[in-house]
Amino acid sequence: MDPIVACQNITRHYRQGIIDVPAVQGVDLNIMKGEFASLAGPSGSGKTTLLNIIGGLDRPSGGTVAIDGEEISQLGANKLADLRLRKIGFVFQAYNLIPVLSAAENVQFVLQLMGISKSERRRRAQDVLSQVGLSGLEDRRPARLSGGQQQRVAVARALASRPAIVLADEPTANLDSHAAEGLISLMKDLNRSSGITFLMATHDPRVIAHTSRHIVITDGRIASDEKRHNSPE
Amino acid sequence: MTGTIRLLLPLSWRNLWRNPRRTVITVLVVGVGLWSILIFAVLLNAWSQSSRDTTVSLMTGEAEIHAKGYLDDPTAAHRLRMPSGRLAQILGSRQTAAWSPRVRVSAIVQSEYKTLPITFVGVSPTRERMISDLPRDIVAGHYLSGPNDQGIVLGQDLVRRLKTAIGRRVVIMAQDATGQLRERAFQVIGIYRASQTAEDEFTFTGIHVAQALVRAGSDVSEIALDARTRNELPRLITALKAAAPDLDIQSWETLAPLAYAVSTFFNSFILLWLWVMFALMAIGIVNSQLMAVIERVHEFGLLQALGMQPRLILCEVAIESVLLIGVGVIVGIAAAIVSVAAFPNGIDLGFLGRGAELVGAGRILHPKLAMGDLVLYSGIVWIAGVVATLWPARRAAKVSPVEAMGRN
Repeated sequence: MDPIVACQNITRHYRQGIIDVPAVQGVDLNIMKGEFASLAGPSGSGKTTLLNIIGGLDRPSGGTVAIDGEEISQLGANKLADLRLRKIGFVFQAYNLIPVLSAAENVQFVLQLMGISKSERRRRAQDVLSQVGLSGLEDRRPARLSGGQQQRVAVARALASRPAIVLADEPTANLDSHAAEGLISLMKDLNRSSGITFLMATHDPRVIAHTSRHIVITDGRIASDEKRHNSPE
Repeated sequence: MTGTIRLLLPLSWRNLWRNPRRTVITVLVVGVGLWSILIFAVLLNAWSQSSRDTTVSLMTGEAEIHAKGYLDDPTAAHRLRMPSGRLAQILGSRQTAAWSPRVRVSAIVQSEYKTLPITFVGVSPTRERMISDLPRDIVAGHYLSGPNDQGIVLGQDLVRRLKTAIGRRVVIMAQDATGQLRERAFQVIGIYRASQTAEDEFTFTGIHVAQALVRAGSDVSEIALDARTRNELPRLITALKAAAPDLDIQSWETLAPLAYAVSTFFNSFILLWLWVMFALMAIGIVNSQLMAVIERVHEFGLLQALGMQPRLILCEVAIESVLLIGVGVIVGIAAAIVSVAAFPNGIDLGFLGRGAELVGAGRILHPKLAMGDLVLYSGIVWIAGVVATLWPARRAAKVSPVEAMGRN
């Protein structure tokens, strides 16, 4: 089976004045379809940089990245945006919903970018919002939703386009423990029921405990890559 | 394209109202700026129109026909026959609204106190009423009753300077067609009010009386005429020139170059004001849109992360500008319409006294918002305003998502 994410010898360097700072150094990583994986490591270890490169938000200094079989390192800004739209769902630490749109409109916005018809957009938005437990809150704008609810909208938005992979950057960092537990269960359920692939950059042990694969990155290199088959329910 | 607009329009509209204070200030900048441009254009157009109308309706008409050489030497020696043949046909056609024959020569008027140079004009009162406003501006006595009327009508200021009055006599001296000096006494039957220059210059009597005085027979010095509509004037003049190639036929622009220059000058002034106001508006618009873009760099990064192409972000900011400036334009147009409607009877320049005449205007300015000006100036402000915001929009589109989302 082809991997959803295939990284080969990824490097990323930043210039700080005259100093060249390596953030990611020679990472080889494959994520297979249906995996529920965590990418952990201390602050500054390079996990967010790696996630950004995989998501096409940042470009590697060296190496290649392929998403669902498509090499993305050399794509232009517009093609990269199109790839993100069709193949990658993002969940960010700070929710990052569009403040002037309601929950349903935030979800539908991505579908509208894809050119999906109005009726189909409505149906899909209703389905995913219902999946994340937000039925009845479709018309609320982000300012009138709790942090946990906003992050659920973000998950719904990430799922609505039926992406090849959902990349989540510290998805529970801004949530209280109750909301965090709910979000972890939700993502785990979606992974199990729909086979959606998740890769989450996190150092939240509650998230790590639920993942079936745990990758640790230290100083820009993969320090360990552990597959588990008995993650907690 | 339709899909893109459908996607971005509601988003852009709602984004405008995220910072209502800034939006209202920008709308006011555009609205007040456009209002000032429109009102400036309305007032200058009214002034220009008044200057033209004053000139045309005083004596000139929209065009005049003379014998060759008359304009250089306005004496009875240069005269023309009453219209006949093709010329009479055109003057009697639907193209011509009215025409009036005149005997018009330089002369001297003498009272018992003073002698002054004037222009002595013999008119056919019925026809003259259709061309000139002077017969309606009588302030004492009455106007001429017919082409054989032997009375004389003088301007108010000339009456003052001659120290004469209604019922008193003055003597007119003029050269006849053979160059002989002729004179005749006239009883003052009417006094008119117009611009001071006109009051001092023109004196009127019946056309047959004037023809007899200067021994012109049935000939006349000039024919003043108005076209049916202003747009038809050039065509009418062309037709008249073709019908009477030996005559000198000129439009009011040539006959009254000062009034025409005032009109042209005002148009240049409107253009200058448009640029000044637009420069001020552009600074305000670019500043507010740049702030709106800088504040939302993080959000533009998010939109790109979600898969929105940079060109769509440029479109979104541009649509915001189209809406923002569009609202400002509507406010400006509405304010201009209300301002003009506040003066249904025109603006009375009476408080300027004779001063208004010095710059060629009549006493009442009639402000009118021309649809052409409305569309032109609003369109320029709208389009130029949107173009001014393309720079901030381009900045928004060029930001990289990872860099943008790193900013909070």
